[in-house]
Amino acid sequence: MTARSLPAAALAGPPRGAGWSMPRLAPFLFLLPIAVALGSVSLYPILNGLWLSFTNTSLVTQEHDFIGLENYAQLLGDDLFWNAWRHTVYFTVVSTLAETALGLVMALLLVERFAGRSIVRAAMLVPWAMPTVVTSKMFGWLFDGQYGVVNWALRESGLIAENINWYGSIDHAMTTIIIADVWKTAPFMALLLMAGLQTIPKSLIEAARMDGAGPVATFVHVRLPLLMSTLLIAGMFRALDAFRVFDLVYVLTGGGPADATETLSTLSYKTLFSALQFGYGSAMATAMFITEALIALGFGFFIMRKMRAPR
Amino acid sequence: MTRTPKTPASGKGGIQRRQFMMGAGVAAGAAALGMPRLARAADRVEISFASAKFQGTETIGNVVDTFNESQSKIFVKYIELPPPSSSTEVHQALVQQLARKNGSPDVFTQDVIWIAEFAAAGWALPLDEYFGGVKSQFFDGTIDACTYDGKLTALPWGIDSGMMFYRKDLLDEIGAKVPTTWAEMTEQAMKLQADKKVKFGFLWQGKQAEVLVCDAVSVLASNNAAILAADGRSSTLATDKAVEAIQFLHDTINKYKISPADVLSWDEEPSRAPFTGGEAAFLRNWSYVYVLAQDEKSSKVPGKVGVAPLPHFDGGKSAGCLGGYQYGINANTKQREAAVEFLTWMASPETQLRFALKMGIAPTRPAVFDDATLGKEQPFMQSLKTVFTGATPRPKTPKYPQVSLAAQSGISRALVTGKVKEELEAAAKKIDAIVSKA
Repeated sequence: MTARSLPAAALAGPPRGAGWSMPRLAPFLFLLPIAVALGSVSLYPILNGLWLSFTNTSLVTQEHDFIGLENYAQLLGDDLFWNAWRHTVYFTVVSTLAETALGLVMALLLVERFAGRSIVRAAMLVPWAMPTVVTSKMFGWLFDGQYGVVNWALRESGLIAENINWYGSIDHAMTTIIIADVWKTAPFMALLLMAGLQTIPKSLIEAARMDGAGPVATFVHVRLPLLMSTLLIAGMFRALDAFRVFDLVYVLTGGGPADATETLSTLSYKTLFSALQFGYGSAMATAMFITEALIALGFGFFIMRKMRAPR
Repeated sequence: MTRTPKTPASGKGGIQRRQFMMGAGVAAGAAALGMPRLARAADRVEISFASAKFQGTETIGNVVDTFNESQSKIFVKYIELPPPSSSTEVHQALVQQLARKNGSPDVFTQDVIWIAEFAAAGWALPLDEYFGGVKSQFFDGTIDACTYDGKLTALPWGIDSGMMFYRKDLLDEIGAKVPTTWAEMTEQAMKLQADKKVKFGFLWQGKQAEVLVCDAVSVLASNNAAILAADGRSSTLATDKAVEAIQFLHDTINKYKISPADVLSWDEEPSRAPFTGGEAAFLRNWSYVYVLAQDEKSSKVPGKVGVAPLPHFDGGKSAGCLGGYQYGINANTKQREAAVEFLTWMASPETQLRFALKMGIAPTRPAVFDDATLGKEQPFMQSLKTVFTGATPRPKTPKYPQVSLAAQSGISRALVTGKVKEELEAAAKKIDAIVSKA
């Protein structure tokens, strides 16, 4: 039925290369659209960014020469970059841990049956569905040093004597941004973990109960071990996302005060689009990419081990 | 070559166009159809004009239409860029266009802080030959900002500057005059705060953003200091005068306590709200605050707000930070004559008056402020003449964006940590490294 088994027919038809008969070509043809799409919107920009990071391209000075590793050498000695790098890593670790813990608690509550559960589940997702810029503005007012409701509540309850300057002091600015991020993204973690909890067979939990395990023991010995791979995957998603934090910082503090909330995204945005230093900015973006790859690799290692481990 | 610009005759434009079309002998059919597009007859020179979007009761497009209808040689195509609030996008759009060096757009408008960058890149046509003779008709500060490397590379269009808003009623109550030095202002602010008349003495903007540079330039220049040396090749941010000026900003929070520490995270709007809410005595901000302060519905202080030039140190003079948009001609334009003629018309006193009345863009020609119509329709704008006279440009360097980011970081650090001299020295070193490469 194929052209290969009928050489005469092949001769009669239009000439074709031996390996490129239709059935062989078909899978590649089907893959072509996605390959072109991914290549043009994903692969090409990454490679081009990498190439730019080896040049001194700047729209302002109109230079565009290959300078090898000079940008990276400068980056290693740039304390603004390391300052932003440290803040980004700190933000990622703290916000991911807080969101995972809070998300887990929310998921455990919402997986139980109670009246009005579906309404609570839907309401829980509202913070996550909100545009981050809106969240930022909202938290800007909530934590406003003079007129914010947070300071008012703390003052009224006697916890503080004087208003806390949430965004204007180096000690509190990053914490405030993390609080805003946790409020916004904990529901996302809860959603992922809830899905994981629902895959745990009820029979296991019932069996544990029959053996006399209380809710805590059931959680520690049955649910948590079975939820581990979901936890790791959700944590990886969150960490990679948190590492790129931009809108909250940009709207709330602009990276200040005294660079105390500068993150890699805001710094590379400033370098790329305010100063128009495409070369140096791309080196920064590449450094970000490498750090993210390391984070993903770390999570990937544990996830693979977890999945391969015999149950 | 200063030509007498044709006065924009609003309302008569249609007649003029029809006359032109008949005179130029364009097909009678086209004239009968009366379509404006057909006015682009082959013998009209076409140039393009790109500008950030400003709007009032009229648009820039309306003004350009008037020019097109007022004469028969040039047709200007208007390209609208995003509004000035999206400054980064406007900058990018212009840089991308100008870097192509194909002469498009022929004429453009630019924020004052880009003038040096565009001039150093060779994108802006030196204008001395065409407008050198009329330089003295504009505010000194705007001409200074439009001059790079001794050449006039931009032409002033609209002006804004940092200024001091104060509570007239409160100063009357304590029998004080409008302060002209920082010391006077501090004293009055402390008294009003001690008397519980206001919660805050003096509000300004310390958020690590462009506005911090504006506030810093104002205090620095009022103490004869600056971020960059006059030649733009080194930083003078660590001189004694500069340290004294930034120390004053730090002291408003920590020593005199006339400013809340919150100003360190505030930009224009958060600092404006307490003032129009009646809780502050003095405010540094731009001219837009006045309209909001007079609004009966949202403001608690309508009729009680005065505006004055910002105070200065002993031995210095008031220096509001200069803002605003200015014209430029593309160095690669193929229609230089037409571009110059269009700019001559755009920068004429008549057109400036129209921009002021219809779009609220303050004129850059002091003479226009004396116009009776302006006094009637925009009395506040008219009163700003003295404020604008002392406006001071920000550092002039093609590397401005980088210098600004370094200055924002350094000054913010100085203000937050209180180690003013150390932090400014560190910032000066960073800025030196940026500008010495230029």
